[in-house]
Amino acid sequence: MAMDAPEVDMTPMIDCVFQLITFFMLVINFESTQADERVKLPESEIAKPPKVKREDEVTINVGFIRNADGSKRVKDPLVFLPGEDVSISQMTPRIKKDLQMYKLQHPGDGIKTTIKLRSDSEVPIGAIQDLIKLYQEEGYEKFALQAMEEAPKE
Amino acid sequence: MASRKAELAMPKPDMTPMIDCVFQLMIFFMLTLKFVQAEGNFDINMPIGQSQGTADPLAQDLKVRMIADANGNLVSLQMGSRKLGNDERAFVQLNGEILRAIGGTPGGPASKDTEVEIDADYNLHYSYVISAISACTGRFDERTKNVVRYIEKIKFAPPRRPGN
Repeated sequence: MAMDAPEVDMTPMIDCVFQLITFFMLVINFESTQADERVKLPESEIAKPPKVKREDEVTINVGFIRNADGSKRVKDPLVFLPGEDVSISQMTPRIKKDLQMYKLQHPGDGIKTTIKLRSDSEVPIGAIQDLIKLYQEEGYEKFALQAMEEAPKE
Repeated sequence: MASRKAELAMPKPDMTPMIDCVFQLMIFFMLTLKFVQAEGNFDINMPIGQSQGTADPLAQDLKVRMIADANGNLVSLQMGSRKLGNDERAFVQLNGEILRAIGGTPGGPASKDTEVEIDADYNLHYSYVISAISACTGRFDERTKNVVRYIEKIKFAPPRRPGN
């Protein structure tokens, strides 16, 4: 008389796994944030995300390439673009190219794009001002300086 | 014959492929999940005509001067001719000075007309400027859990290049 192998009831495990999948599907955000992890933003208690989503915005990440110990590999800050890192002085042709694209997509319109500047805490403010000036020269008027939302102090 | 009939009546589904898929899905979601801390921003309007440092004739200007050392750290924070220090208390004082300058009424006409010009040394770290902009923009009200806005217009003075 051969004994049957005991059957394992898989139902509770499958229940748990489906619960987990549902959780991950709900919390996941596929929207590209355009944020670069190398940029360590400063914190501010009153920096709040805009209540109304902006019509059009471009995120520019400015920061340093750092060694594992946190020291800067190069002294000057870089603009982190998709796929490559360029110095601020090299940004003019890229700004012009972006503007050409914008004008093709929005013929006859003024520039409504907001330049969202995500800058590392240690970037010199002069470098950020230089970058703003390059955008201004092409006609951009709206800028937003990004900061990490800090929990209010008790 | 009877046992064969019972087997036909209750086909046992093979759960293995489904469990495989479900685990694959779970691993995918776990790996792609990224908890992003909330970010906020400070809007700055700088049309080319009203470039960095160009005064708006209707606005009442408040000047905030920020002096840095060679490493980009804050040495002195000043509002007008008043020195406020270089630590966290300096920004608290700046916040108080701004409130006084708008007549103690956030959201009032002075709040809308007043413009703050931030004049910082070229190499000053961005974090100090964000602290100054925060102090000028307003404060977080613990009671209402909202931001009380003091100033809406903030601009930069032209960059002070080293050696200028």
